Amino acid sequence: MFTRFEEYAATQMLGQLDSPPRSEGKLVFSEAWQRTVFGMALSLSKQGHFEWEDFRQHLISSIAAWEQDACDGQAKWDYYERYTLALIAMLEQCGVLKPGELERQIAPDDANG
Amino acid sequence: MAALFDYDENREAASAAKVRALEALLIKKGVLGSDSVDTVLSHFETVAGPFNGARIVARAWVDPAYKRRLLEDTPKAIAELQFPGMTGAEGEHMKAVANSESVHNLIICTLCSCYPWPVLGLPPYWYKDPVFRSRGVREPHAVLREFGVPIPAEKEVRVWDSSAQIRWFVIPERPANTGQLNEAQLAALVTPEAMMGVALVPAPPAV
Repeated sequence: MFTRFEEYAATQMLGQLDSPPRSEGKLVFSEAWQRTVFGMALSLSKQGHFEWEDFRQHLISSIAAWEQDACDGQAKWDYYERYTLALIAMLEQCGVLKPGELERQIAPDDANG
Repeated sequence: MAALFDYDENREAASAAKVRALEALLIKKGVLGSDSVDTVLSHFETVAGPFNGARIVARAWVDPAYKRRLLEDTPKAIAELQFPGMTGAEGEHMKAVANSESVHNLIICTLCSCYPWPVLGLPPYWYKDPVFRSRGVREPHAVLREFGVPIPAEKEVRVWDSSAQIRWFVIPERPANTGQLNEAQLAALVTPEAMMGVALVPAPPAV
């Protein structure tokens, strides 16, 4: 039914727990990093590194984990923070990232020390 | 409160740093190109979206012959405008219906949430809502009133059910006092909601 991966991927999410923020028919990104992480997941799945559905399951789990936090002390809702965690989990599961590799990239000294 | 805001700023910065590091690492590994993100997002930002539908509607407003062609053979009339990336199957299965003084059109989908993506972009969150779907069919006047579109009881509301075979969109009525606007200015007035029939196109603010 969809001739484009982009449309298939976004449509699978609509009306579901992992539905991305949007307005007036367009995706809404309040910061540049949100756009980057959304596009990275789409691009990597499109290239075949993982199934889009498998990524969605990580995203749904990541959102569910936030929802299960106690109200007292629960971090403010941040869709793309959950999205980022889900993408990292997906990439570790499919072997694109080795465990701890991203941490070393972020803070090489801490990871070595 | 200040501490709370600081905390959120830190979280925002941490997320940004994490994504930056991830992107750099994936580029280094050769699994992501430096322009991969822009390429994939250009689909939503410039290829398929409500900006296409708005252009079609504006053309139909200024050119009655085009409007006739659009209503007769929608895919062919859309192809005339030569949207980049909307070729072949992208523009197929679409059908335009026009609002008028006597008829208002409403688009819903009772099946699988089919939607004319290339002209309307991403559907709003309530499009898949079972309540909207069923009430749209049963009591369209009441549903439209809740959307802030009061349609007189005597005016006919036609409800169109999108499917994989036909994806409908609405040519809304051109607002009054827009004779001085050019096609691009008219297109800027057209919203996806208006092309679904759950909103009217408001008259532009007086200059």
